[in-house]
Amino acid sequence: MEQSFEIGYVFQFIPKLISTLGTTLTIVAGAVFLGLAAGFLAALPRLYRVPVLQRVSQLYVSFFRGTPILIQLFLFYFGLPEVLKQIGIDVSKAPVLFFVILTYGLHTGAAVCEMIRAAVGSVDRGQVEAAYAVGMNGYRAFTRIVFPQAIAIALPIFSNVLLALTKETSLAFSLGIMEMTGKAQSLSTLTQHFVEAYLSLALVYLAVCFLLEKLLLGVEWRLLRHERQESETRAWFRSWKKIKWRRYSSEFPLERKEAGSYEA
Amino acid sequence: MKLDPSFIWTAFTQLLSVIPTTLLITAVSVACGLIIGTAVALIRTFRVPVLAPIAAGYVTFIRGTPMLTHLLLIYFGLPIALDALAAQFGWGFRSASIPMIAFAFIAFSITAGGYASEVVRSGLLAVNRGQMEAAHSVGMTTAQALRRIVIPQAFAASLPNISNLVVGMLHASTLAFTVSVVEVTAKAQIVASTNWKFFDAYLAAALIYWGLTLLVERASGLVERRINVYDRGGVA
Repeated sequence: MEQSFEIGYVFQFIPKLISTLGTTLTIVAGAVFLGLAAGFLAALPRLYRVPVLQRVSQLYVSFFRGTPILIQLFLFYFGLPEVLKQIGIDVSKAPVLFFVILTYGLHTGAAVCEMIRAAVGSVDRGQVEAAYAVGMNGYRAFTRIVFPQAIAIALPIFSNVLLALTKETSLAFSLGIMEMTGKAQSLSTLTQHFVEAYLSLALVYLAVCFLLEKLLLGVEWRLLRHERQESETRAWFRSWKKIKWRRYSSEFPLERKEAGSYEA
Repeated sequence: MKLDPSFIWTAFTQLLSVIPTTLLITAVSVACGLIIGTAVALIRTFRVPVLAPIAAGYVTFIRGTPMLTHLLLIYFGLPIALDALAAQFGWGFRSASIPMIAFAFIAFSITAGGYASEVVRSGLLAVNRGQMEAAHSVGMTTAQALRRIVIPQAFAASLPNISNLVVGMLHASTLAFTVSVVEVTAKAQIVASTNWKFFDAYLAAALIYWGLTLLVERASGLVERRINVYDRGGVA
Protein backbone atom coordinates (compact mmCIF):
# COMPACT_ATOMS: atom_id res chain seq x y z
CA MET A 1 0.00 0.00 0.00
CA GLU A 2 2.92 2.33 0.70
CA GLN A 3 5.00 3.79 -2.09
CA SER A 4 8.77 4.08 -2.05
CA PHE A 5 10.39 7.17 -0.61
CA GLU A 6 10.60 10.17 -2.97
CA ILE A 7 12.31 13.27 -1.67
CA GLY A 8 10.45 15.50 -4.17
CA TYR A 9 7.22 15.09 -2.23
CA VAL A 10 8.82 16.61 0.86
CA PHE A 11 9.39 19.90 -0.97
CA GLN A 12 5.96 19.66 -2.55
CA PHE A 13 4.27 19.23 0.84
CA ILE A 14 6.07 22.03 2.70
CA PRO A 15 4.19 24.97 1.05
CA LYS A 16 0.89 23.16 1.57
CA LEU A 17 1.65 22.73 5.25
CA ILE A 18 2.74 26.35 5.62
CA SER A 19 -0.68 27.40 4.33
CA THR A 20 -2.15 25.99 7.57
CA LEU A 21 0.55 27.48 9.75
CA GLY A 22 -1.90 30.28 10.57
CA THR A 23 -4.21 27.91 12.45
CA THR A 24 -1.33 26.53 14.50
CA LEU A 25 -0.12 30.02 15.33
CA THR A 26 -3.67 31.13 16.20
CA ILE A 27 -3.88 28.33 18.76
CA VAL A 28 -0.43 29.19 20.11
CA ALA A 29 -1.14 32.92 20.35
CA GLY A 30 -4.59 32.46 21.91
CA ALA A 31 -3.28 29.92 24.40
CA VAL A 32 -0.32 32.11 25.36
CA PHE A 33 -2.50 35.14 26.11
CA LEU A 34 -5.04 33.05 28.00
CA GLY A 35 -2.25 31.18 29.76
CA LEU A 36 -0.48 34.34 30.88
CA ALA A 37 -3.74 35.71 32.30
CA ALA A 38 -4.71 32.43 33.98
CA GLY A 39 -1.20 31.80 35.26
CA PHE A 40 -0.93 35.28 36.72
CA LEU A 41 -4.31 34.94 38.43
CA ALA A 42 -3.34 31.53 39.80
CA ALA A 43 0.07 32.70 41.00
CA LEU A 44 -1.17 35.71 42.98
CA PRO A 45 -2.99 33.78 45.76
CA ARG A 46 0.06 31.57 46.21
CA LEU A 47 2.52 34.45 46.30
CA TYR A 48 0.47 36.34 48.89
CA ARG A 49 -0.77 33.18 50.66
CA VAL A 50 -4.50 33.91 50.39
CA PRO A 51 -6.16 31.21 52.55
CA VAL A 52 -8.75 29.35 50.44
CA LEU A 53 -7.75 30.54 46.96
CA GLN A 54 -4.26 29.20 47.57
CA ARG A 55 -5.64 25.63 47.75
CA VAL A 56 -7.75 26.18 44.64
CA SER A 57 -4.72 27.40 42.73
CA GLN A 58 -2.68 24.41 43.95
CA LEU A 59 -5.39 22.04 42.77
CA TYR A 60 -5.59 23.77 39.38
CA VAL A 61 -1.85 23.58 38.78
CA SER A 62 -1.64 20.01 40.05
CA PHE A 63 -4.43 18.85 37.74
CA PHE A 64 -3.13 20.53 34.59
CA ARG A 65 0.41 19.37 35.22
CA GLY A 66 -0.67 15.92 36.34
CA THR A 67 -2.77 14.86 33.36
CA PRO A 68 -1.79 14.55 29.69
CA ILE A 69 -2.86 17.38 27.40
CA LEU A 70 -4.66 14.89 25.16
CA ILE A 71 -6.94 13.81 28.01
CA GLN A 72 -7.55 17.46 28.89
CA LEU A 73 -8.55 18.20 25.30
CA PHE A 74 -11.10 15.37 25.32
CA LEU A 75 -12.36 16.33 28.77
CA PHE A 76 -13.01 19.93 27.79
CA TYR A 77 -14.42 19.10 24.40
CA PHE A 78 -16.93 16.58 25.74
CA GLY A 79 -17.38 17.87 29.27
CA LEU A 80 -17.61 21.63 29.07
CA PRO A 81 -20.88 21.78 27.09
CA GLU A 82 -22.44 19.41 29.65
CA VAL A 83 -21.26 21.38 32.64
CA LEU A 84 -22.26 24.73 31.17
CA LYS A 85 -25.67 23.38 30.17
CA GLN A 86 -26.46 22.90 33.86
CA ILE A 87 -26.06 26.62 34.48
CA GLY A 88 -28.01 27.51 31.36
CA ILE A 89 -25.27 28.40 28.90
CA ASP A 90 -25.31 26.58 25.57
CA VAL A 91 -21.87 26.27 24.00
CA SER A 92 -22.54 23.14 21.95
CA LYS A 93 -22.58 25.29 18.83
CA ALA A 94 -19.24 26.95 19.64
CA PRO A 95 -16.44 26.21 17.17
CA VAL A 96 -13.99 23.44 18.10
CA LEU A 97 -11.17 25.97 17.98
CA PHE A 98 -12.69 27.65 21.04
CA PHE A 99 -12.35 24.50 23.13
CA VAL A 100 -8.86 23.84 21.82
CA ILE A 101 -7.61 27.33 22.67
CA LEU A 102 -9.30 27.20 26.07
CA THR A 103 -7.70 23.87 26.94
CA TYR A 104 -4.24 24.83 25.73
CA GLY A 105 -4.62 28.17 27.50
CA LEU A 106 -5.44 26.59 30.86
CA HIS A 107 -2.70 23.99 30.34
CA THR A 108 -0.19 26.77 29.67
CA GLY A 109 -1.59 28.73 32.61
CA ALA A 110 -0.44 26.02 35.02
CA ALA A 111 3.10 26.19 33.66
CA VAL A 112 3.01 30.01 33.70
CA CYS A 113 1.89 29.96 37.34
CA GLU A 114 4.89 27.85 38.31
CA MET A 115 7.13 30.10 36.22
CA ILE A 116 5.91 33.25 37.96
CA ARG A 117 6.30 31.66 41.37
CA ALA A 118 9.86 30.61 40.62
CA ALA A 119 10.79 34.00 39.13
CA VAL A 120 9.30 36.09 41.92
CA GLY A 121 10.80 33.76 44.50
CA SER A 122 14.26 34.24 43.04
CA VAL A 123 14.17 38.02 43.48
CA ASP A 124 16.05 38.87 46.65
CA ARG A 125 13.77 39.54 49.61
CA GLY A 126 15.90 42.56 50.51
CA GLN A 127 14.72 44.29 47.33
CA VAL A 128 11.14 44.38 48.63
CA GLU A 129 12.30 45.49 52.04
CA ALA A 130 14.38 48.27 50.50
CA ALA A 131 11.34 49.37 48.48
CA TYR A 132 9.26 49.51 51.64
CA ALA A 133 12.06 51.40 53.37
CA VAL A 134 11.94 54.21 50.78
CA GLY A 135 8.17 54.44 51.31
CA MET A 136 6.69 52.42 48.41
CA ASN A 137 3.48 50.53 49.05
CA GLY A 138 3.01 46.87 48.23
CA TYR A 139 1.65 47.50 44.73
CA ARG A 140 4.44 49.87 43.74
CA ALA A 141 7.12 47.62 45.19
CA PHE A 142 5.78 44.81 43.04
CA THR A 143 5.33 46.72 39.78
CA ARG A 144 8.49 48.83 39.99
CA ILE A 145 11.02 46.64 41.77
CA VAL A 146 10.09 42.96 41.80
CA PHE A 147 8.31 42.57 38.46
CA PRO A 148 11.06 44.02 36.20
CA GLN A 149 13.66 41.78 37.81
CA ALA A 150 11.43 38.73 37.82
CA ILE A 151 10.55 39.06 34.14
CA ALA A 152 14.19 38.78 33.11
CA ILE A 153 14.50 35.58 35.12
CA ALA A 154 11.21 34.22 33.82
CA LEU A 155 11.95 34.75 30.14
CA PRO A 156 14.10 31.63 29.52
CA ILE A 157 11.40 29.55 31.26
CA PHE A 158 8.71 31.28 29.22
CA SER A 159 10.67 30.46 26.08
CA ASN A 160 10.59 26.77 27.03
CA VAL A 161 6.86 26.93 27.80
CA LEU A 162 6.14 28.57 24.46
CA LEU A 163 8.18 26.03 22.49
CA ALA A 164 6.55 23.13 24.34
CA LEU A 165 3.14 24.63 23.59
CA THR A 166 3.98 25.01 19.90
CA LYS A 167 4.90 21.35 19.70
CA GLU A 168 1.89 20.26 21.74
CA THR A 169 -0.54 21.97 19.36
CA SER A 170 0.16 19.03 17.06
CA LEU A 171 -2.40 17.14 19.15
CA ALA A 172 -5.24 19.48 18.19
CA PHE A 173 -5.81 17.30 15.12
CA SER A 174 -7.40 14.71 17.42
CA LEU A 175 -10.44 17.01 17.77
CA GLY A 176 -10.53 17.52 14.03
CA ILE A 177 -8.78 20.88 13.79
CA MET A 178 -7.14 21.34 10.41
CA GLU A 179 -3.79 22.64 11.63
CA MET A 180 -0.42 21.49 10.33
CA THR A 181 -0.58 17.95 11.69
CA GLY A 182 -4.14 17.45 10.49
CA LYS A 183 -3.14 18.77 7.07
CA ALA A 184 -0.13 16.44 6.99
CA GLN A 185 -2.40 13.50 7.78
CA SER A 186 -4.85 14.33 5.04
CA LEU A 187 -2.01 14.91 2.56
CA SER A 188 -0.43 11.60 3.46
CA THR A 189 -3.60 9.57 3.12
CA LEU A 190 -4.37 11.34 -0.15
CA THR A 191 -1.01 10.61 -1.76
CA GLN A 192 -0.03 7.49 0.25
CA HIS A 193 3.37 9.12 0.87
CA PHE A 194 3.34 8.97 4.66
CA VAL A 195 7.02 9.33 5.45
CA GLU A 196 7.47 12.32 3.14
CA ALA A 197 4.44 14.10 4.63
CA TYR A 198 5.55 13.65 8.22
CA LEU A 199 9.15 14.50 7.38
CA SER A 200 8.06 17.83 5.89
CA LEU A 201 5.82 18.37 8.92
CA ALA A 202 8.83 17.85 11.19
CA LEU A 203 10.89 20.27 9.09
CA VAL A 204 8.23 23.00 9.27
CA TYR A 205 7.95 22.59 13.05
CA LEU A 206 11.73 22.68 13.34
CA ALA A 207 11.86 25.97 11.42
CA VAL A 208 9.01 27.50 13.47
CA CYS A 209 10.59 26.48 16.78
CA PHE A 210 13.98 27.74 15.64
CA LEU A 211 12.57 31.15 14.71
CA LEU A 212 10.62 31.46 17.98
CA GLU A 213 13.74 30.54 19.92
CA LYS A 214 15.83 33.19 18.15
CA LEU A 215 13.11 35.79 18.67
CA LEU A 216 12.94 35.13 22.40
CA LEU A 217 16.71 35.14 22.75
CA GLY A 218 16.65 38.61 21.19
CA VAL A 219 14.03 39.80 23.68
CA GLU A 220 16.03 38.31 26.52
CA TRP A 221 19.20 40.08 25.35
CA ARG A 222 17.30 43.35 25.36
CA LEU A 223 15.73 42.76 28.79
CA LEU A 224 19.05 41.94 30.43
CA ARG A 225 20.77 45.06 29.10
CA HIS A 226 21.10 46.57 32.58
CA GLU A 227 23.38 43.71 33.61
CA ARG A 228 25.36 43.92 30.39
CA GLN A 229 25.91 47.65 30.75
CA GLU A 230 27.33 47.16 34.17
CA SER A 231 29.89 44.65 33.01
CA GLU A 232 30.77 46.89 30.05
CA THR A 233 31.44 49.84 32.36
CA ARG A 234 33.48 47.65 34.59
CA ALA A 235 35.50 46.48 31.63
CA TRP A 236 36.06 50.13 30.67
CA PHE A 237 37.42 51.02 34.08
CA ARG A 238 39.61 47.99 34.10
CA SER A 239 40.94 48.53 30.60
CA TRP A 240 44.28 49.77 31.93
CA LYS A 241 44.95 46.33 33.36
CA LYS A 242 43.24 44.48 30.55
CA ILE A 243 45.41 41.40 30.72
CA LYS A 244 44.52 40.72 34.30
CA TRP A 245 40.80 41.26 33.55
CA ARG A 246 40.98 38.81 30.70
CA ARG A 247 42.51 36.17 32.89
CA TYR A 248 39.82 36.76 35.46
CA SER A 249 37.02 36.46 32.95
CA SER A 250 38.40 33.32 31.38
CA GLU A 251 38.55 31.67 34.76
CA PHE A 252 34.97 32.60 35.56
CA PRO A 253 33.17 32.66 32.23
CA LEU A 254 30.38 35.19 32.44
CA GLU A 255 28.08 33.32 30.12
CA ARG A 256 24.66 32.52 31.44
CA LYS A 257 23.47 28.98 31.63
CA GLU A 258 20.09 28.63 29.97
CA ALA A 259 18.03 25.76 31.17
CA GLY A 260 17.10 23.66 28.17
CA SER A 261 18.34 26.02 25.49
CA TYR A 262 17.61 25.00 21.94
CA GLU A 263 21.09 24.37 20.56
CA ALA A 264 22.45 23.41 23.95
CA MET B 1 -26.28 12.73 28.80
CA LYS B 2 -25.73 13.41 32.50
CA LEU B 3 -22.66 12.90 34.60
CA ASP B 4 -22.95 9.39 35.97
CA PRO B 5 -20.75 8.67 39.04
CA SER B 6 -21.35 4.94 38.93
CA PHE B 7 -20.22 4.83 35.31
CA ILE B 8 -17.04 6.72 36.18
CA TRP B 9 -16.31 3.91 38.62
CA THR B 10 -17.07 1.25 35.98
CA ALA B 11 -14.78 2.99 33.50
CA PHE B 12 -12.15 3.36 36.18
CA THR B 13 -12.10 -0.36 36.91
CA GLN B 14 -11.94 -1.16 33.20
CA LEU B 15 -9.03 1.24 32.75
CA LEU B 16 -7.11 -0.31 35.64
CA SER B 17 -6.46 -3.40 33.53
CA VAL B 18 -4.43 -1.47 30.95
CA ILE B 19 -2.32 0.58 33.36
CA PRO B 20 0.56 -1.95 33.00
CA THR B 21 0.75 -1.14 29.28
CA THR B 22 1.06 2.59 29.98
CA LEU B 23 3.65 1.94 32.68
CA LEU B 24 5.58 -0.43 30.41
CA ILE B 25 5.76 2.16 27.62
CA THR B 26 6.87 4.80 30.14
CA ALA B 27 9.47 2.56 31.76
CA VAL B 28 10.95 1.30 28.49
CA SER B 29 11.14 4.76 26.96
CA VAL B 30 12.70 6.35 30.05
CA ALA B 31 15.22 3.51 30.51
CA CYS B 32 16.29 3.43 26.84
CA GLY B 33 16.13 7.22 26.74
CA LEU B 34 18.52 7.54 29.66
CA ILE B 35 20.98 5.11 28.01
CA ILE B 36 20.83 7.01 24.70
CA GLY B 37 20.90 10.32 26.53
CA THR B 38 23.96 9.41 28.61
CA ALA B 39 25.82 8.28 25.48
CA VAL B 40 24.88 11.48 23.64
CA ALA B 41 25.77 13.68 26.61
CA LEU B 42 29.16 12.01 27.05
CA ILE B 43 29.88 12.35 23.32
CA ARG B 44 29.07 16.04 23.49
CA THR B 45 30.90 16.69 26.77
CA PHE B 46 34.12 15.07 25.54
CA ARG B 47 33.66 16.55 22.04
CA VAL B 48 34.24 13.27 20.19
CA PRO B 49 35.23 14.41 16.66
CA VAL B 50 32.69 13.09 14.13
CA LEU B 51 30.00 11.98 16.56
CA ALA B 52 29.61 15.29 18.43
CA PRO B 53 27.98 17.27 15.56
CA ILE B 54 25.72 14.29 14.78
CA ALA B 55 24.66 14.16 18.45
CA ALA B 56 24.01 17.91 18.46
CA GLY B 57 21.90 17.58 15.31
CA TYR B 58 19.94 14.70 16.82
CA VAL B 59 19.16 16.68 19.97
CA THR B 60 18.15 19.77 17.98
CA PHE B 61 15.85 17.76 15.74
CA ILE B 62 14.19 15.89 18.61
CA ARG B 63 13.67 19.01 20.70
CA GLY B 64 12.46 21.10 17.77
CA THR B 65 9.75 18.78 16.48
CA PRO B 66 6.62 17.38 18.15
CA MET B 67 6.74 13.85 19.54
CA LEU B 68 3.86 12.88 17.33
CA THR B 69 6.01 13.35 14.23
CA HIS B 70 8.73 11.10 15.66
CA LEU B 71 6.17 8.39 16.31
CA LEU B 72 4.57 8.69 12.88
CA LEU B 73 7.94 8.84 11.10
CA ILE B 74 9.06 5.64 12.85
CA TYR B 75 5.69 3.99 12.30
CA PHE B 76 5.63 4.64 8.57
CA GLY B 77 9.35 4.93 7.83
CA LEU B 78 10.85 1.99 9.70
CA PRO B 79 8.88 -0.76 7.89
CA ILE B 80 9.86 0.69 4.50
CA ALA B 81 13.52 0.85 5.49
CA LEU B 82 13.48 -2.65 7.02
CA ASP B 83 11.66 -4.22 4.08
CA ALA B 84 14.12 -2.63 1.67
CA LEU B 85 17.05 -3.98 3.70
CA ALA B 86 15.43 -7.39 4.01
CA ALA B 87 14.88 -7.56 0.27
CA GLN B 88 18.48 -6.56 -0.41
CA PHE B 89 20.11 -9.04 1.96
CA GLY B 90 17.52 -11.76 1.54
CA TRP B 91 16.41 -11.97 5.16
CA GLY B 92 13.26 -13.92 5.68
CA PHE B 93 11.80 -10.96 7.55
CA ARG B 94 8.60 -9.00 7.06
CA SER B 95 7.92 -5.68 8.73
CA ALA B 96 4.33 -6.77 9.27
CA SER B 97 5.57 -9.17 11.96
CA ILE B 98 6.68 -6.27 14.18
CA PRO B 99 4.16 -5.80 16.99
CA MET B 100 2.55 -2.33 17.18
CA ILE B 101 3.90 -1.64 20.64
CA ALA B 102 7.48 -2.00 19.34
CA PHE B 103 7.00 1.15 17.24
CA ALA B 104 5.91 3.01 20.35
CA PHE B 105 8.94 1.69 22.26
CA ILE B 106 11.40 2.69 19.53
CA ALA B 107 9.91 6.11 18.80
CA PHE B 108 9.46 7.12 22.42
CA SER B 109 12.97 5.93 23.32
CA ILE B 110 14.40 8.11 20.56
CA THR B 111 12.35 11.08 21.79
CA ALA B 112 13.26 10.47 25.43
CA GLY B 113 16.92 10.14 24.42
CA GLY B 114 16.97 13.67 23.04
CA TYR B 115 15.44 15.14 26.17
CA ALA B 116 17.42 12.89 28.54
CA SER B 117 20.70 13.97 26.98
CA GLU B 118 20.01 17.52 28.12
CA VAL B 119 19.13 16.24 31.60
CA VAL B 120 22.35 14.25 31.84
CA ARG B 121 24.43 17.09 30.39
CA SER B 122 23.12 19.64 32.87
CA GLY B 123 23.79 17.11 35.64
CA LEU B 124 27.39 16.61 34.48
CA LEU B 125 27.89 20.39 34.25
CA ALA B 126 26.58 20.78 37.79
CA VAL B 127 29.50 18.73 39.14
CA ASN B 128 32.49 20.87 39.96
CA ARG B 129 35.41 20.46 37.57
CA GLY B 130 37.72 20.11 40.55
CA GLN B 131 36.11 16.77 41.42
CA MET B 132 37.36 15.27 38.17
CA GLU B 133 40.81 16.76 38.68
CA ALA B 134 40.98 15.51 42.26
CA ALA B 135 40.04 12.02 41.05
CA HIS B 136 42.78 12.16 38.40
CA SER B 137 45.28 13.35 40.99
CA VAL B 138 44.69 10.33 43.22
CA GLY B 139 45.37 8.11 40.23
CA MET B 140 41.91 7.23 38.90
CA THR B 141 41.39 6.84 35.18
CA THR B 142 38.73 9.01 33.50
CA ALA B 143 36.34 6.08 33.36
CA GLN B 144 36.83 5.35 37.06
CA ALA B 145 36.42 9.00 37.98
CA LEU B 146 33.22 9.22 35.96
CA ARG B 147 31.77 6.09 37.48
CA ARG B 148 32.78 6.63 41.10
CA ILE B 149 32.91 10.41 41.52
CA VAL B 150 31.11 12.37 38.81
CA ILE B 151 28.06 10.28 37.90
CA PRO B 152 26.77 9.75 41.47
CA GLN B 153 26.87 13.51 42.07
CA ALA B 154 25.45 14.28 38.64
CA PHE B 155 22.62 11.84 39.30
CA ALA B 156 21.75 13.59 42.55
CA ALA B 157 21.80 16.96 40.82
CA SER B 158 19.61 15.84 37.93
CA LEU B 159 17.05 13.85 39.90
CA PRO B 160 14.30 16.53 39.73
CA ASN B 161 14.82 16.70 35.96
CA ILE B 162 14.66 12.91 35.68
CA SER B 163 11.35 12.92 37.56
CA ASN B 164 10.11 15.55 35.11
CA LEU B 165 11.23 13.32 32.26
CA VAL B 166 9.35 10.35 33.72
CA VAL B 167 6.18 12.43 34.10
CA GLY B 168 6.65 13.80 30.59
CA MET B 169 6.98 10.33 29.09
CA LEU B 170 4.01 9.10 31.14
CA HIS B 171 1.90 11.84 29.61
CA ALA B 172 3.45 11.31 26.20
CA SER B 173 2.52 7.62 26.26
CA THR B 174 -1.04 8.79 25.46
CA LEU B 175 0.20 9.28 21.88
CA ALA B 176 0.55 5.53 21.49
CA PHE B 177 -3.15 5.41 20.63
CA THR B 178 -2.27 6.76 17.16
CA VAL B 179 -0.48 3.48 16.38
CA SER B 180 -3.35 1.49 17.91
CA VAL B 181 -1.65 0.36 21.10
CA VAL B 182 -4.32 -0.10 23.75
CA GLU B 183 -3.07 1.85 26.75
CA VAL B 184 -5.14 3.98 29.13
CA THR B 185 -6.14 6.66 26.60
CA ALA B 186 -7.03 4.21 23.86
CA LYS B 187 -8.98 2.09 26.36
CA ALA B 188 -10.80 5.22 27.54
CA GLN B 189 -11.75 5.93 23.93
CA ILE B 190 -13.06 2.39 23.53
CA VAL B 191 -15.01 2.53 26.79
CA ALA B 192 -16.33 5.99 25.92
CA SER B 193 -17.54 5.14 22.44
CA THR B 194 -19.09 1.76 23.34
CA ASN B 195 -21.11 3.34 26.15
CA TRP B 196 -21.55 6.74 24.53
CA LYS B 197 -20.32 8.40 27.73
CA PHE B 198 -17.26 10.37 26.70
CA PHE B 199 -16.90 12.78 29.59
CA ASP B 200 -17.14 10.11 32.28
CA ALA B 201 -14.60 7.83 30.61
CA TYR B 202 -12.05 10.58 30.07
CA LEU B 203 -12.57 11.79 33.62
CA ALA B 204 -11.66 8.32 34.86
CA ALA B 205 -8.57 8.35 32.63
CA ALA B 206 -7.61 11.79 33.90
CA LEU B 207 -7.87 10.56 37.51
CA ILE B 208 -5.59 7.63 36.71
CA TYR B 209 -2.95 9.81 35.09
CA TRP B 210 -3.18 12.33 37.90
CA GLY B 211 -2.69 9.61 40.50
CA LEU B 212 0.25 8.10 38.63
CA THR B 213 1.88 11.53 38.30
CA LEU B 214 1.53 12.22 42.02
CA LEU B 215 3.02 8.78 42.76
CA VAL B 216 6.04 9.48 40.54
CA GLU B 217 6.57 12.85 42.21
CA ARG B 218 6.29 11.34 45.69
CA ALA B 219 8.72 8.54 44.81
CA SER B 220 11.23 10.97 43.37
CA GLY B 221 10.98 13.07 46.54
CA LEU B 222 11.86 10.01 48.63
CA VAL B 223 14.80 9.02 46.41
CA GLU B 224 16.02 12.61 46.43
CA ARG B 225 16.14 12.67 50.20
CA ARG B 226 18.01 9.37 50.27
CA ILE B 227 20.53 10.29 47.59
CA ASN B 228 21.38 13.72 49.00
CA VAL B 229 22.38 12.26 52.38
CA TYR B 230 26.06 12.94 51.65
CA ASP B 231 25.30 16.61 51.02
CA ARG B 232 23.91 17.72 54.36
CA GLY B 233 26.65 20.13 55.47
CA GLY B 234 27.63 20.81 59.08
CA VAL B 235 30.01 18.67 61.14
CA ALA B 236 29.33 14.98 62.01
